[in-house]
Amino acid sequence: MKTIALYSIKGGVGKTASAVNLAYLSSLTAPPTLICDLDPQGASSFYFRIVADKKYSSKKFLKGNKKIYNNIKGTDFDNLDLLPADFSYRNLDLELQEEKKPQKKLKSNIQELNTEYPYIFFDCPPNLTLLSESVFAASDVILVPLIPTTLSLRTFGQLLEFFKENKLDTGKIRGFFTMFERRKAMHRQIVEEYGGKKRFLSQIIPYNSEVEKMGIYRAPLNAVRPHAPAALAYKKLWEELMHEIA
Amino acid sequence: MITHLVPVVFSISEVFDIERITENPDISFSFEAQPQKKEPLHLYDTFDWRAWNKNTAIILSRNQLNLIAIDNGKKVSSVGFRRTPQSFFPEEIPDDKTRSSLQAFSKPRAFLRYGTVSTLSQSMRVLDRNMKTVATIEIRSILPSSAQEQEQKRFITLTPVRGFHKEFGKLTRHILTKPSYAETTTYRNFFLALLDAVSCQPGINASKTPVKLHPDNTIVDSARELLLSTLAVIHANETWIPKNIDTEFLHDYRVAIRRTRSILARLQGILPPEELLTYKQSFRELGRRTNDLRDQDVYLLEADRFRELLPPAMRNSLNLFFTDLRNRHKKELRSFSRHIASEKHKRFLQEWESFLRSDPQSDPDRTPEARRITSDVAVASIRKAWKKVLRHGRTTSPEATDTELHALRLDCKKLRYLLEFYSSLFPRKTLRQVVRQLKNLQDNLGLFVDLSVQQDYLTTYLSSLECDEEVIPLAASIGGLVTALHHKREAVRKEFHHRFEKFDRTETETMFNELFKPYRQP
Repeated sequence: MKTIALYSIKGGVGKTASAVNLAYLSSLTAPPTLICDLDPQGASSFYFRIVADKKYSSKKFLKGNKKIYNNIKGTDFDNLDLLPADFSYRNLDLELQEEKKPQKKLKSNIQELNTEYPYIFFDCPPNLTLLSESVFAASDVILVPLIPTTLSLRTFGQLLEFFKENKLDTGKIRGFFTMFERRKAMHRQIVEEYGGKKRFLSQIIPYNSEVEKMGIYRAPLNAVRPHAPAALAYKKLWEELMHEIA
Repeated sequence: MITHLVPVVFSISEVFDIERITENPDISFSFEAQPQKKEPLHLYDTFDWRAWNKNTAIILSRNQLNLIAIDNGKKVSSVGFRRTPQSFFPEEIPDDKTRSSLQAFSKPRAFLRYGTVSTLSQSMRVLDRNMKTVATIEIRSILPSSAQEQEQKRFITLTPVRGFHKEFGKLTRHILTKPSYAETTTYRNFFLALLDAVSCQPGINASKTPVKLHPDNTIVDSARELLLSTLAVIHANETWIPKNIDTEFLHDYRVAIRRTRSILARLQGILPPEELLTYKQSFRELGRRTNDLRDQDVYLLEADRFRELLPPAMRNSLNLFFTDLRNRHKKELRSFSRHIASEKHKRFLQEWESFLRSDPQSDPDRTPEARRITSDVAVASIRKAWKKVLRHGRTTSPEATDTELHALRLDCKKLRYLLEFYSSLFPRKTLRQVVRQLKNLQDNLGLFVDLSVQQDYLTTYLSSLECDEEVIPLAASIGGLVTALHHKREAVRKEFHHRFEKFDRTETETMFNELFKPYRQP
């Protein structure tokens, strides 16, 4: 089992779109795939039209394995399942603090899913909290979507700094650029500078209004518009990532 | 594997109205129906139904080859398949999972298209308030295969989506609400209905199914029964051999002939001597006609292994040998196919069958043994054959010469066939143990003889090559191959005495005695 987190301190950088599309591509190449929506806003759950059961909450999530297993839902796509987020997830951080080893919680909670899913994706909320630390420990790869702006790069630097301070494995971190607009000089300049650098994937996701329309399609872009520029880019990104993981 | 994702199958009667499902105000789902369409389902299995025996249905539809567990209807694997061939081999499947499942059923056997069922299918998604699919429904009518049949069998398959159990339960109850004209059935029944539509009976053609004999019947009756069953195998395989689909048809055919001959060899005094002699000769002749073909099959099957016996640099020169072999095989197959299609051959099998079916005339002079009871003959002939193996094995010289091992192999084979013929008379567990002991010895002898035959064939081939500069690399490779096979054979020969000792011990003797126990004279 490989676990891949889509993570960024900053919001609105394309975490959910990336998680949904990459998970969909993974379900085609290495079925079955699970996507865990960890964001209380539940954007990826929304994309798949899935609402958690009324009885499901952050408490159940923290109980782990069997409780998680029972709340996994099938999406409308073969071999792609989702663990929906619940609004109670906004309390996850507080609740994690009461746990004995909060950083290791997520890792042990999903252990039993090991045999069923070759790939598990985490769609993370935008902040740096105890939950994020738990995600860092549970993930084999931490994918960080970045808009090519100075602010985005700054948060990437902050993340690396945090990893170093806490003696975490920075080797797990992979940045990649999203919402790239060729007409913007700054975008071009940043992409050029960071493109082939260490800890960066070379594939870039271009800005594409089709990505925003995922909210209307309520499905992965690669499923409904596989030839859209962004969908093609996600496909190449997944291939690059697979190559690196394997 | 998720166990709770098993579909439910309903069989529905003619009067069942589909709109009852969709147009019901009591149910809080919406339905997104696809238009009804004709959908042919192509059913595949090996000749001897290996997938069926392992609980698997192989159905090709909508360019997808699906493997489905027969006991619960769950899809095991599915792969894109854009053809509807008469037959295919597992190696042709690109998807790892499907390929390895198919190979687990059978490596050498091809999967044959048993039939194509015309169906009408309509599928629909069941949606909740968020327009999320919570289950799928498929309504399928099996269209009658002939004009006489009026009845259309109809089935509904309700497939759950993970995590939507409540909705699934609700839908199941909804379909069954009275008066519903629907009842739950099994996927197995649905699959049987498909097979029925193409008049297929699963499980036929399995050549290894033992004939059920009765110990108190006369031996002449039992022998006729056994011979009719091997004849059925001969007939069944003759249809397929000329199609050159897989090598197992010829193999099974040859086994059936050998068995026939082996039974005939034991019918002295049981069948009239003149007929016995004629048929013995005819079957020997028929078997002989297939020898070259089988040898060629074996070499072609072993092509990769043969190549690996040689150093990489010498491998390519073997291509000439294999091309030559393939051409010979083609010619030989054509000639043999002509033979089995000939009037002469057909008449021979017809006469044989009517001879077996004719009322046995009791003639104490010509067939003095015919009225003996089956179990007596069975025990006596097995014991005799077993003692013969022991006698010959014990007198085998320390060097274990070719002649000795060849002869002993035949003795073992005879014993093995006898155990198989009469298997229904003996306790299954003991029989299995005896056969296992024997098989261990047979494996050694079989391998030895195979390696010898291969060496001889290659040596003959080598001497038939014309002196020509072009054939030098080929000759060198064949020479290398003969050497490698020789070394292997000598290793097998060395192993012989050890294997025989394992067979010739008190334990085996106890097993044989245990086998005969039910028929021991007081």
